[in-house]
Amino acid sequence: MRINSAAVQHWIVPVVVLVAWEVFGRAGMLPRYLSAPSAILLGLWELASTGELFPALAASLYRVAAGFALGTLAGTIVGLGAGLVPGVRHFFDPLVSFLQGIPKIAFLPVFLLLFGLGHASKISIIAFSCFFPVFIASRHAVLSVNRILLWAAQNMGTPRRTIFFRVVIPAAAPQLFAGVRIGLAHAFVVLFAAELIGSRAGLGTIITSAEEWVRFDLMFAGILCFAVLGFASDRILLAIRARVLRGQTIGTEEQGMR
Amino acid sequence: MTAQVLNQRWSQAWGLISRWYSIPLLLLVWQLAVGSGLVESRLLPGPGRVFTALVTDVGNGTLLYQASVTLYRALIGFALAALVGIPFAVAMARSRLVRNLFEPIFFFGYPVPKIALFPVFTYVFGIGTPSKIAFTFLECLYPIVVTSYFGFRAVETRLIWSAQNCGADPLTILRRVILPAALPSVFAGLRIALPVSLIVVVITEMIGDSVGLGYYITIWNTRFTFANVYAAIVVIGICGLALDQALLLVRRRAVYWQREAA
Repeated sequence: MRINSAAVQHWIVPVVVLVAWEVFGRAGMLPRYLSAPSAILLGLWELASTGELFPALAASLYRVAAGFALGTLAGTIVGLGAGLVPGVRHFFDPLVSFLQGIPKIAFLPVFLLLFGLGHASKISIIAFSCFFPVFIASRHAVLSVNRILLWAAQNMGTPRRTIFFRVVIPAAAPQLFAGVRIGLAHAFVVLFAAELIGSRAGLGTIITSAEEWVRFDLMFAGILCFAVLGFASDRILLAIRARVLRGQTIGTEEQGMR
Repeated sequence: MTAQVLNQRWSQAWGLISRWYSIPLLLLVWQLAVGSGLVESRLLPGPGRVFTALVTDVGNGTLLYQASVTLYRALIGFALAALVGIPFAVAMARSRLVRNLFEPIFFFGYPVPKIALFPVFTYVFGIGTPSKIAFTFLECLYPIVVTSYFGFRAVETRLIWSAQNCGADPLTILRRVILPAALPSVFAGLRIALPVSLIVVVITEMIGDSVGLGYYITIWNTRFTFANVYAAIVVIGICGLALDQALLLVRRRAVYWQREAA
């Protein structure tokens, strides 16, 4: 293990930051709201042992999973439809190009009023904001399928159903996954903002109430859970992507890094 | 002859209608739904009332002021992220040490929802403008660094070698070879980050502030006056569209040899 090997250098910055945080925190040289890493881990343990953590985690996970699934499903179906049928495309294109640039969280007050403070309002606004990137990606993906592939399949007398499932979908899959990944990132941002602004359960609520009790260790523990949840979901999505697209990523530079 | 011209005009008009009919159609359905009392107009005010609210608050300057605050925060955060991020991406692409030190931060930090850190930002930077700018900076930094880093890495070594062969000094190579070759990727990163900046500022203003479009939405929401909420949403949409078009204009000037995709 030499100091200039890549594996060692990768760890330098995170370790130095954590150690400095801990040391300066213990020495009382950091502001009080920056709890030391060890205190954050203890706070996490406290949340877990008092039984607060798991219901909140379950609520947040349920909301983000249901919203993401609904939004992705709707975005894929409508996006594929828009790619295949010009009429559908002409209906959705102007709407999407206007709504796409608006932060969907701006609609949160309306969703809160329509669906209340519980799960339904979070799920629906997460689905709403996932829809757009997935729709755009799948629409573009279908339109950019290589014509020659379609012609070749038609030439061999392939029925339309088979062309759709065996040519269009596999050719569109990489771009579709790119859109789904953006949708997942949006899902977590919207989940957090929605739970912070109006909610009675979930990780966001743990964070806000910890702030009110001036328990910064618990606040950071909630933030840590949220970050891990987002990171892990992204890794799971990438693993699914690698499995579905195996054979299509050979020779490209991506190694699950982006 | 005239019939032919008329026919052509008609088919042009028909093309325009078939491409854009959905927005007026939805406005009509919206108006009918509200007018017939099918939807409670307190919850979903008709397009007419939204338009009135929009005109009133643009006219008396309220919306323009709130929008200018939001745009100011978003653009400063975005510009700082570009100023720091692009040189940083060059350093990561050109130096093995810098790359090894910071690659994990950027690639493992990329999928982490950074919004969760916003409460900490309010403690460090206070509740007003500084925490919004600092947080926008962080959110924009990631797409800018990661996307332009890949661009700088993809510059062909052959180009750099031949410039060196011609006796170009490192600064000239950076300015005349590396930068132009990576510019399309840099703009791709900027184009991802620009709407992010607007979104992030609005969200953080909704979480807690006393100015800005996000605040405007929250305050009219608590007064149950949704016409103004929708008016603010329209303003945000226009701002987003204008920012994107402005960036494309700059890109067309800077990357004049290549057209943008879609």
